[in-house]
Parts: sequence; structure tokens; C-alpha cells
Amino acid sequence: MLELYHWEPNGSYLKPLIALHEKGLPFRSRYVDVLAFEQYQPGFLAPSRETQLNQEGEGPVLVHDGQQITESLFMIEYLEDAFAQVPRRPAEPIAQTRILAWARFINEVFMPGANTLGCHLQLAPHFKGRDTSAFEAMLARIPMKHLQEGWRLAFTDGYSDDLLQDSERKVKLSVQRIEDALAQSAWLVGSSYSLADIDAFAICNALTTLTPGIVNKSATPRTIDWLERIRSRPAVRAALATSRTGAPERAFAPGPEHSRWG
Amino acid sequence: MLTLYHWEPNANSGKPILAACEKGVDFESRYIDLLGFDQHSPEYLKINPNGTIPAMVHDGVLVPESTAMMEYIDATFEGPPLRPQDPFERWRMRWWCRFFDQFLGPSVSMIGWKFFVGPAMAKRDPQELKARIERIPLKERRIAWSKAIYGTFSPEELAESKRRIVFGATHIEAALAERPWLAGASYSIADMVGFSMMAGLPVMHAEVANDAEAPHLMEWLRKIYERPATHKCLALGRTEMMRRFAHLARKTA
Repeated sequence: MLELYHWEPNGSYLKPLIALHEKGLPFRSRYVDVLAFEQYQPGFLAPSRETQLNQEGEGPVLVHDGQQITESLFMIEYLEDAFAQVPRRPAEPIAQTRILAWARFINEVFMPGANTLGCHLQLAPHFKGRDTSAFEAMLARIPMKHLQEGWRLAFTDGYSDDLLQDSERKVKLSVQRIEDALAQSAWLVGSSYSLADIDAFAICNALTTLTPGIVNKSATPRTIDWLERIRSRPAVRAALATSRTGAPERAFAPGPEHSRWG
Repeated sequence: MLTLYHWEPNANSGKPILAACEKGVDFESRYIDLLGFDQHSPEYLKINPNGTIPAMVHDGVLVPESTAMMEYIDATFEGPPLRPQDPFERWRMRWWCRFFDQFLGPSVSMIGWKFFVGPAMAKRDPQELKARIERIPLKERRIAWSKAIYGTFSPEELAESKRRIVFGATHIEAALAERPWLAGASYSIADMVGFSMMAGLPVMHAEVANDAEAPHLMEWLRKIYERPATHKCLALGRTEMMRRFAHLARKTA
């Protein structure tokens, strides 16, 4: 049996929701209210070592026959490895390698950039004026120190100008890379829709709302067209329909950290 | 034809070499002198515009990213499998690769660069170094090189790297107490990435990587060191840096 623990269909949570629907795999949806810290309450899924040490920050957990699978891109690679139907990964090794190379760039550059802007603009206001001292005991249960710090930044809206500027630079760089790739082909890797498109779309989908100055019809026409093509897919519509807030593009939680050097 | 452009066969440069040696694939080795900044030369930028090493070219096609190159080698050539067949173990292999690439590797190399690269650069002409830094294509790499050359890692940054190494080593030890290799029952790309990044640990961070504190981690490093493919890979080294590996040889009674 497949169970997916997920929050709003945005960012890392969106990837497996799309992939499961694309592949037509039945699964039990376990909606987690991340802003209520349900994922850290006693009685919640006891995390495996790998789940505890995730590099993705807050993100989905897939449980398949008792085994926990995390890290959203590797999760959708897992679905390809475990379930042959409706492949979304090209057969050629060079294409598979390019998907992994996109994944590294997305996880280390695009996601930290987009996520920092999203947390500053959407998550920090949620905590404004609230007494967050009660959360400290809960944060102590998070083994990854940079994820604890990610939450503290949101509680205090403590994002420095340098960090916000660097995040904007990373988003621009990433969107430009997508725009350039789409000048060569309709999809990011090879000639068909693949895991790389799902990976990048999951981050990019919110940017027409979050950073309309960067992603828009005149600056990035190919990206807008690509977004529309993906949004119109039945599987993507089904994934986005799992939203309970009605505005999944505004749902951000601390994600992967910015690279510390080089 | 397979060509690998690499520096000393450890860290990122060591990864695809180890994979090719394990797979039994012949490749052309092109040694790039990192400390001579060969990786930012116009000739090299024609091969890899990012100016990073390693680079791998197979039949004229550039294959990106050192960890992804290893999967490519496994998927493309005949030879023993470097990835588990079981989907969960394959997932766990990728998970550990990311743990090394994103979490541990940068910490290990920050401290490594402070002790190896910084002192080597102190002997160079400052004007020349400045010009070398300016021609680095990626901003992240420019920052990394500046910090290493001018020794501007803050004490807090170095302490955080140290904390991560101790934290990471503890978790590797715990994982290897549960199973022989990081992904599961078989030696895989995850172990090769781990070895490439962590083989210097018993020398650089002996207080955490020793037989009393981390017997499984130490045994894992020694088992990998003893593999014929590892020896073939390490034989491509040219500098003093490679002496760190000799510590992994078992002492004969």
C-alpha cells in the first residue's frame, strides 16, 4: 500500500502528488498541517534515520509497505523504479543523467531561492505578532539544525537583505535556465514530458504569484507556455485539487538550505 | 570513447573514476591541475563551460554532475552493477549520495581547502591570483576560491563544518552497524561517493573517525580501500594529498 504524507500541493509536496496521479497509482492521502506542526506531534509517523536527516527541509513522506521514502525528486524516481506503468523517465541513460543534474540544480539553487522568498512573503506574516516561544520545545525535536534555524527565521522574519537579494538572483538564474532549455525543446529533458518537468514545475508553479516580475509573459514567454501546458494536464489538476486552503501557491515552509560555500 | 577530466582522485574528481574502475570500463584520463587553475583555462571551458571538475565526455557528449556521471556509467556499460536492483535500496543509495554531496561534502572540503589549498596559494603572486579568481564562471565558485585563497572562513563557519562532520560520522556509523553497505546488502555508488568524500577522515578528524568511536565506519573505509578498483583509481593521484589514504592499510601482525 502507498500512503503519502503531504501538505498543500506546492513545492516538494506537489511532486509526488503529480507523479502518483500521472502513473494512475492508488494511494492514501495523509494531509499534514505543517503550520500546526502536526509532523512533530507525538504519535505522528516515527521517522526513519533517513527521514530525520532529510536535506529537503519540510517535505512529503511516502510510505510504501512500511518503508519510508523522502526527498521529493528521489521519491518520484522511486515510483519509476518500483512501478513500470506510464513511465515518466526516458529510457536513454544520458536523459536520466540530465534529470539528475537538473535535480541537483533545482535542490541547491532554485528551491532555496524560491523557498526563501516564499517564506519571507507568505510564511513569516503568518507568525507576525504571535508568541512563538511555545514552539521552541517543538523545534528541539528537529535533528537538523539548519531546519530549526529555517523555522526561527520565519518566526522573526529575520531574512537579511543579502539573503533576499541572493535568493532573487537564484530564482532569476533558474528561471533563465528553464527559459533557455525551452528554446531548444518543448520539455526540459529530451522531447517529452518527464520527471525533470515535474521537478521544476513544482517550484515554478507558485512564481507567477510570488515573483510576477520574474516570471511573466513578456520576460519569460516560453516558461509561461510550459507552465500552462503542465497545468492543463489532468494529473496536475488532480494534484492541485488536493489543496485545502484554496491557495497552494502561497504555502511555503522551510526547505533545503542555501549552499554554505561553493 | 570515454574521457574523464579530473584532478586528484578524491572528492568529486574521485567519484566517476571509482565508478569507471569498478565497472571495468576503459577511459582516457586527463589530469587537470586544480591548483594551477587549469579548470578555468579557455581550452577547458570549451569542454565544460562551468569550469568545474570533473567533466566526463562519452562519444562527444558532455555528461553532467559527478554523482549523476556514476549512474550514467552504470546504466551505459557492461560490467558488475553499481546500483541495487531493489527500488528501496536504490532510493536509499540516492539519499546517501545527496547527504554526502549537500551536507557532508562541503563541510569536509571547507576544512580540507583551509589546510591544503590556502597554504599552497600563499606562495603565489597576489595579482595573478586576483586575475585567476575573476575568470571563474560560476559566482559560487568565485566565492569559494576567494575564501580558500584569502583564508576568510570565519571561526563560526569552520566550527559549523566540524559539527556537521561529527554529526554525519555518527550517523554513518549507526547506519553501517545495521547493514554492510549504505544502500543495503551490496556495494553501491553511495559507498563510492562516501569514500571519495570521507577517506581522509581518520587523518583530518581522528577524534571521531577511529576504531573505538566508529568501528563500522573504519571497517567500511578499509574494505573500500582494499578493493582493486579503488587502488586503480588512487594510482592516478600525483600529490602529497594521496598520502592520507595510506592510513587505511591494515596493519599486519
